Amino acid sequence: MPRNFWNLFVFVMCLGGSAGAHPHVFVDARTGFIFDADGRLQALRISWTYDEFTTLILFESLNLDQDGDGQLNDADRAAVIKAETNWEPEYKGDVYLEVAAKDYSLGRPEAGAVTLANNQVEVSFTLPLSQPVRIDDTPAFLRLYDPTFYYAYTILPATEPVALPKGCQAQIVPFEPDAVESALQENLAALGREEAPAQENVGRLFSDEVRLTCG
Amino acid sequence: MWLRFGAIVLCILAVGAAAWSFVPWLDIQRWAAGEQRMFQNAMAGALRGIQAGDPLAVWTLCSATAAYGFFHALGPGHGKVLIGGAALASGATLKRLGILTVLSSLAQAATAICLVGGLYFLVQMRSDDLADITETWLAPASYAAIAGIGAVLIFRGARSWYKLGQAKQIAQGCCGHAHGPSVNDVTTLATARDSVALIASIAMRPCTGALFVLVIAARFDAFAVGCLAVITMGLGTAAFNLTVATSGVAARRLAGLGAHNQESMQAVSATLHVTGGVLIIFISLGMLLPYVR
Repeated sequence: MPRNFWNLFVFVMCLGGSAGAHPHVFVDARTGFIFDADGRLQALRISWTYDEFTTLILFESLNLDQDGDGQLNDADRAAVIKAETNWEPEYKGDVYLEVAAKDYSLGRPEAGAVTLANNQVEVSFTLPLSQPVRIDDTPAFLRLYDPTFYYAYTILPATEPVALPKGCQAQIVPFEPDAVESALQENLAALGREEAPAQENVGRLFSDEVRLTCG
Repeated sequence: MWLRFGAIVLCILAVGAAAWSFVPWLDIQRWAAGEQRMFQNAMAGALRGIQAGDPLAVWTLCSATAAYGFFHALGPGHGKVLIGGAALASGATLKRLGILTVLSSLAQAATAICLVGGLYFLVQMRSDDLADITETWLAPASYAAIAGIGAVLIFRGARSWYKLGQAKQIAQGCCGHAHGPSVNDVTTLATARDSVALIASIAMRPCTGALFVLVIAARFDAFAVGCLAVITMGLGTAAFNLTVATSGVAARRLAGLGAHNQESMQAVSATLHVTGGVLIIFISLGMLLPYVR
């Protein structure tokens, strides 16, 4: 069987997986870019606001609010931060940064914080880059997605935006089905060529993204 | 002769595929996910109402779970694949398929209730572990069982093809009597055994949404209300799956339009068994693939 057939096969299967699966957890995400004194991108600030149902599940699975007052105390907040940000090394936090058309590696979450408002838990944390990087006019992309689509992320404008250095711009590009379809067609067409990337990640085609440019 | 009916089936599949490609699936899924999110939040609100002792919250919860079940089913799920394929292949009436659809959704709710009733109360297992068990073990087991049913359908169809071919040879060599097998030979879902296999393979994997409703209700000391809500969720799912069963039966009727005698009916039935079986195997293996990699 030609390799291209299997590329196509896996591609279609992945497509089925990411487009066809059912989301159970809905997350409103907010993002920020943190630059160092030299104007290099140093870290990402990520916040996840869970839907009300997932918030109830979190209360149950972590046994929060044992006094039943509907509020989180310090022990509850510590439990949420531990469960949500102290993740397994192989999990990437569903956070993907692309710089100069390559995946950029990220460190472990820091400075976790938890709030409860409108019956929704919000978890936020800082995700340092493995090394600070200079962003130029080639856009860097920040994408939040779960490859299995169990979690559905929507990127919203930050409530307290982190200031960007002069000349830098961050723009949220929402997921558009039309754009996906045309990108899929291009990819399918490209699969016929030998240089086509076999490990093309289909999941990212379905995600909102933040486009960051400087200069 | 049955090549002609094979061609009819292929035509129907081609028309179906063409219609399929015109449907804006991504838009529909996004819309369905939005609705699901809304009803999921309504479920959360109703559960908090139950905790606070609001008597109307039971009704809010049940209507929210029914709607959730309906919209959650609006994706390519495992139950629909099997029901659609079986509707195409079997000679079962729409009424019988409808009953099977409702029963399989209710059985799925019963699985969730047994799982939570057993593991949450007896072993004090938490919701994330319950969800893990479902996704790691029950989901692939269910896909494998469904693929197995697809294989049985293909086997029955192929066996019927073979018998038809043999019957023809006998008829030509003999005295013109038709010794073809009876139509019943390729009827699926006519026996209780077939029906139980269909229901069990779907019910094996409960919806994680149902598990969560039960666990949260149990935490609020309202497990009975949770059971009721999960049953209405199953009915919501069944309501959507009924449309799939109806389309499968309609496609089968269309394919059978050109068949006038018993032998051609049987050829159509055999072809539909193979078509339905291939559809089921292809899609359920696609769902199983992420687990074996």
